[in-house]
Amino acid sequence: MSESSNPTRREETAGLMKYSTENLVPFGPIHPALKEPEYFKLVLEGEKIVDVIPRIGYVHRGLEKAAESRPWVQNMYMFERTCGICSFVHSLCYGQAVEELTIYKVPKRAKYIRLIIAELERIHSHLLWVGLMGHWAGFETLFMWVWRDREIVLDIVETISGNRVHKSMNAICGVRRDMPENMEDHIVEKMKYLADRARYYREIIDTEETMLERTQKVGKLTADTVEKLCAVGPMARYVGIQNDVRLNAPYAAYDEVPFSIVTRNEGDVQGLLRLRLDEMIVSTDMVSYAVKHLPDGPIRVKIPPIIPAGEHSSHCEAPRGEIFYYVKSTGGRTPDRVKSRQPTMANLPAALEMLKGQTIADVPIVLTAIDPCFGCMDRMSFLDTETNKQWTWSGEQLRQYGIKYYKDRG
Amino acid sequence: MSEVFLRRVEECAVDAKSKSTQLRENETLVEVEQEYVKQFVSKVWNDGISRHLSTITGLDLGEKIGIVYHFWQNQNLLHVRTTVQKTSPTAVSIVDIIPGAILYEMEIHDLFGVMFVGNPWMDKKLLLPETWPDDLPPPLLKTSKSPEIRKRLKLEVE
Amino acid sequence: MLKQLEAWARKRSPWVYHINASSCNGCDIELVASLTPTYDIERFGAVLVPSPRHADVLIVTGTVNAQTKDRLRKVYEQLPDPKHVIALGACAAAGGVFKGCYNVGQGVQDVIPVDMFVPGCPPRPEAIMYGVLKLLGEVK
Repeated sequence: MSESSNPTRREETAGLMKYSTENLVPFGPIHPALKEPEYFKLVLEGEKIVDVIPRIGYVHRGLEKAAESRPWVQNMYMFERTCGICSFVHSLCYGQAVEELTIYKVPKRAKYIRLIIAELERIHSHLLWVGLMGHWAGFETLFMWVWRDREIVLDIVETISGNRVHKSMNAICGVRRDMPENMEDHIVEKMKYLADRARYYREIIDTEETMLERTQKVGKLTADTVEKLCAVGPMARYVGIQNDVRLNAPYAAYDEVPFSIVTRNEGDVQGLLRLRLDEMIVSTDMVSYAVKHLPDGPIRVKIPPIIPAGEHSSHCEAPRGEIFYYVKSTGGRTPDRVKSRQPTMANLPAALEMLKGQTIADVPIVLTAIDPCFGCMDRMSFLDTETNKQWTWSGEQLRQYGIKYYKDRG
Repeated sequence: MSEVFLRRVEECAVDAKSKSTQLRENETLVEVEQEYVKQFVSKVWNDGISRHLSTITGLDLGEKIGIVYHFWQNQNLLHVRTTVQKTSPTAVSIVDIIPGAILYEMEIHDLFGVMFVGNPWMDKKLLLPETWPDDLPPPLLKTSKSPEIRKRLKLEVE
Repeated sequence: MLKQLEAWARKRSPWVYHINASSCNGCDIELVASLTPTYDIERFGAVLVPSPRHADVLIVTGTVNAQTKDRLRKVYEQLPDPKHVIALGACAAAGGVFKGCYNVGQGVQDVIPVDMFVPGCPPRPEAIMYGVLKLLGEVK
């Protein structure tokens, strides 16, 4: 959106001057039901960013309202499409919240299958993110290699569920499809391959000049700030906070499959890279274990379309952090209230805090570091307080500026 | 649910002139009046009963609007529910205790029309489009219907 | 003669601009996946460009919500003639799963004219490539 067309945005610029830079100004473009297109206004003093004003709502579709007029089962597949990258965890969390209101229990085999798909999703999401970090840093080769490896995960997911992105595997009180036969060895072999690749990428990010320069000491936050801003997932773990739903409040089969939490202490973007790659390795181990120890039994319990009255909330660990769903039923065929809170919304205040003190060239790396949905950085506007110059750049222009800046700096 | 957690929550509830109900094995609900919300949340946060606010939910309860704070510590979930009248939806903000709550309050402001006193961003829209008419009621109230909203936002093409 | 050369160049090497109009990102990641070595749309000459002023083809993903409607129209106007529009996915075609939600339009064709719809939720990378190439007459 151009500056001149929107009178509200002018007011924002004027209002911005009132806020002192010591104020914590957390705000965010991510809506709980969706992600993507955001519009940032960065306030600069010289080269450094002193303030960030985002404008979100570009992906607000009104899911929570629509959920109140759709049947319970239909909502599961609608909430799945909140996000393309962590779609399974959304339907899982919603399903778990609703299941508690019924008298039925989820079969054990279904819990294991849920764990397998959730961890496969985590692997694919982290690979996607590592590739994007490479893309924004100008390291195209890394991007291409990583996304090629990602296709392995998507092939396995497609064999199990039939779709690459929106798996639709969940049902209320179970899963819809069983694991195909004779896939055990194939999956274990591919997991081992992916773990080796993750270790190789780990080496690259630790030694490759391009990545080191763009990620070391960039995006630093302290544990105290992160806790006050209630950040979740890798954003909390990269400063050492042990915040992981799989560890603290296990769901599905996480209490039976061995799992080790990964935390780091560097507190910068390189720490985030290492953390996500290590998490990937842990996930590959979990998938291999679950596939080898899959219990027998039914995968689903059929339940009536009316859910008894009550309210329940559930949380899960999505690749980006904690997903929270709250469900309220008044004993009908449709919910009374469904609330979903995506992890990126929780991480946004922390992300904006990370941006302060950085230069323009670091913006794409820092914003991608929190792992938002990647269509989001499509437009940014700059205001230089010293020269009073304003200009707008697209995400791609910003990316190329960043690459050139670091190349010139040497 | 850990005994210690339950006991500490019970103490805070008594201080806020309310009591806690155990919903399930790991979930507790405490109903608190608006005037005691800040004191309760402050105690929960500063005494370390919970150091993570998951989110804040808005609810349409007929004549009132419910605001539920969800706290999480290990396996324990704590829900703190307070209500405001629909006719004068003003609530107290907790951003000075927990800065991370700012976006959640903005969301409830957008979707239910609740004004949080003390939140610096009440004049900004978080989710609703810029073209949202001022006289249109907030979307998530039970009285607001999707087809009407779509017509007002000019999303229906005849 | 020059016009023929232009048309041939446009067909052989479509420059594509992608806009995300309130999408869940499923379609977007499949579009980006089509750039990667496994599918490699670049061997057909298709290239993603950073600005709509350089593009021949506009790919739109997502339901179009009230916030992005104007923006989509502006971007469409910035594309130089002759231009083509591809609506990717079920949401761009008619609102997809979100049809009837309070902030969701009825698909891209209510805002700008569309030349090609690629169905799917999300469409596979092969389907996306097929759509782009069919639009340009490469595939009959």
